[in-house]
Amino acid sequence: MVNFSDLNFIFRFLPIFLIAFYITPIRLRTWTLFLGSLLFYAVGDLRMLPALLAAIIVNFLFGKAQFAEKSKSLLFFILAIDAGMLVEFKILGQFVNSSLLPIGISFYIFKMISYQMDVYSGKIHKDARFIDVATYFSMFPQIVSGPIMRYEKFLENPMLDEDKSRDKSLWVLIEDGLRYFIVGLAMKVLIADHLSMLWHDIGTIGYESISTPLAWLGAYAYTLELYFDFWGYSLMAGGIGVMLGFPFIVNFDQPYGSGSVSEFYRRWHATLGSWFRDYIYFPLGGSRKGNFRTVFNLLVVWLVTGFWHGITPNFILWGVVLFVIIVCEKYLVFKVFPDKLGKVVGKINVLVLIPLTWVIFAITDFDMLAMYFSRLFPFFGQGIVVNDNDFFKNIGIYWMVLLPGFILLFPKVFEFWENRRGHIVFNVIWILLFWFCIYSISGAAGNPFMYFRF
Amino acid sequence: MKFLKECPILIGIALIAVILTVISFACQGSVYSDYAEESDPAKVPALALVFKAARDEVFPWSGSAGAQVATGEVQGEADGAGAEGEGSSATEADVEGQEGSAPDGSDQSASWLYGDVDAAISGNDISGNAVSGDDAEPETYEFTEVDEDYFTDALFIGDSRTVGLSEYCEPLDERATFYSKVSLTIYTVMDKEFVKTDEGKISVDAALRENQFSKIYIMLGLNEIGTGDTEYFFNAYKEVIDRIMELQPDAIIYIQSIMHVTAEKAHGDKNFNNEKINARNEAIAQLADQKKIFYIDMNEAVDDEDGNLDKSLSFDGVHLKASSYERWYEFLLHNAIVR
Repeated sequence: MVNFSDLNFIFRFLPIFLIAFYITPIRLRTWTLFLGSLLFYAVGDLRMLPALLAAIIVNFLFGKAQFAEKSKSLLFFILAIDAGMLVEFKILGQFVNSSLLPIGISFYIFKMISYQMDVYSGKIHKDARFIDVATYFSMFPQIVSGPIMRYEKFLENPMLDEDKSRDKSLWVLIEDGLRYFIVGLAMKVLIADHLSMLWHDIGTIGYESISTPLAWLGAYAYTLELYFDFWGYSLMAGGIGVMLGFPFIVNFDQPYGSGSVSEFYRRWHATLGSWFRDYIYFPLGGSRKGNFRTVFNLLVVWLVTGFWHGITPNFILWGVVLFVIIVCEKYLVFKVFPDKLGKVVGKINVLVLIPLTWVIFAITDFDMLAMYFSRLFPFFGQGIVVNDNDFFKNIGIYWMVLLPGFILLFPKVFEFWENRRGHIVFNVIWILLFWFCIYSISGAAGNPFMYFRF
Repeated sequence: MKFLKECPILIGIALIAVILTVISFACQGSVYSDYAEESDPAKVPALALVFKAARDEVFPWSGSAGAQVATGEVQGEADGAGAEGEGSSATEADVEGQEGSAPDGSDQSASWLYGDVDAAISGNDISGNAVSGDDAEPETYEFTEVDEDYFTDALFIGDSRTVGLSEYCEPLDERATFYSKVSLTIYTVMDKEFVKTDEGKISVDAALRENQFSKIYIMLGLNEIGTGDTEYFFNAYKEVIDRIMELQPDAIIYIQSIMHVTAEKAHGDKNFNNEKINARNEAIAQLADQKKIFYIDMNEAVDDEDGNLDKSLSFDGVHLKASSYERWYEFLLHNAIVR
């Protein structure tokens, strides 16, 4: 049920929760959200609920102490606890048993760290209430895979505020949230889940036996799959947030329209990128301490990013490759190259190198990864039992999902809808789209989000 | 009215949800009875029944008999032949639906993408059999080694695994004919219209009436491993073999063992495990008469020492990797009957 595209979530948990939320008196609504979120978490991962609760309480208490008197050592202490908890569970999950990795830990720990840093830096002034902090950490729309909202945004919810809630109609909020939810659901269910079959099938054939065109098709299919899986999830999460009165959190801002890889990562999973910027890159000195330090800081950020996504070596390699590309862009492409050429190279980086980095992201085994690249670039030998028709066969099967995925890469398409999303034509289409998704879900066993365990 | 203006989508969805739920409950005793039995209302909202059924082209206005055949999950009357094409009207959606309803759909659901690309009849014109002798004395045959051309007048019938064989075993694909389709089962094999001809798609039954083969290889049984018990499966298998014998009296029929899955895949799976596969293999092996029908255990070629599919040969634990089909082919070359 902890999957937003699960029928039980859509037809049971969400409507019942919304009713409960809005019939609760305003001053108690945060409690409803907290208890609902705990229930949500318990259904998904009851065994790890104590870990979440312990982390909430410990972080709240340290924050409270920090309000009384700012202390750097206290800050370091709690950061070490948080980071240590994350690292420990990641190692347990990787080397002992994957069920030991609590759902959403990567995300709630990052929220906790940002909370501690914001309290220390004075960004959060007033003495925060326990229920607010606890709900912020655990709220169900964000617990599984983000977005990593900041605490100040949590406080901006008019529906939790007795003075402001009269200004807004809850029906308007629910309706608008629903629009985002449906578009996210469609991306996830209709595009990403179907593309995942193509990627899986390439594995079934065996990387040593795919033709070079199919290898490229696979790289782009995986790229699209990851994008619509996570963008779709983020739209659903953001939409549910809107239904509850929170501001819509933009997590994906048309990344494939970017002109460079560094811009790409400001627009891809933006709440994670800005987290790394604000809580690692800037505290290390950012780009103000000279070139050497800047490069070093970037390396740290990308190594941590790689590690955060997973602790197998391919994620570290993925982070390092991105680091190299970004450094090249910063000191070569946009500095030395002529303007026009720089722009072209930046675009190529986004549209060609990024898909290749996703292949590194996707394949955890180094030998298999090397094999995949040798099929992408078949200069170093032939494949084994390659069927040259495999590309056209898969295009024939998958063009129906590849095409809409490709069209949605153009930033204008989503913008067009977003700016006119209240139009009656879109309303009708959205109702149909919703039921089409439900039709698709009822037939297939749920395929959990790819980011589920990160 | 203001309400309607403020949230048309919510109202539209809520209204349809209520209607579908009412329909679902109203028809649970009739059209949807089979689906209602299978699904646990605590786990799946009632309206899912309407969609599940719609995938099998069962609608509230359909007769309740249609539901039984289309799901193929019903125990009891094994008489698929009486279904008069209802099972064979199944579409792509149907294929997915069936796999999704399997207890572990995750890996299986991916296999629909094998499509039916290779189900085409390659048009091998087999003009009767070269068997001349009429010698009535009972003869016993031994498995021997043959060369590649042995398969020129052979037919392979099977599911996604056989589709894979056709795609990644060139010497075989060049010679033999394949009537294979992803998620094909012993219950649907004869009537499902998937064999491509110039005039469109026809059923295996119809294709076997038109074309004669000297050797017919069958491997089916994994998709339906969660359906019915061994006896039910055996009876359906026997019926198919009997029908093929009737249509192709001169052919040698090879019943291939259902290929194992890897230990990893089998672990903790109540259906996709090798005990269950072995039980069914033992059953269908009984169908061999050593005269016209032979049982060959191709698992010998792909098993590890514990009797599971060797995991180095497979990515998903169910299908062979492209480079592993060679082993299956070699096995066939070494285990053939020459009359």
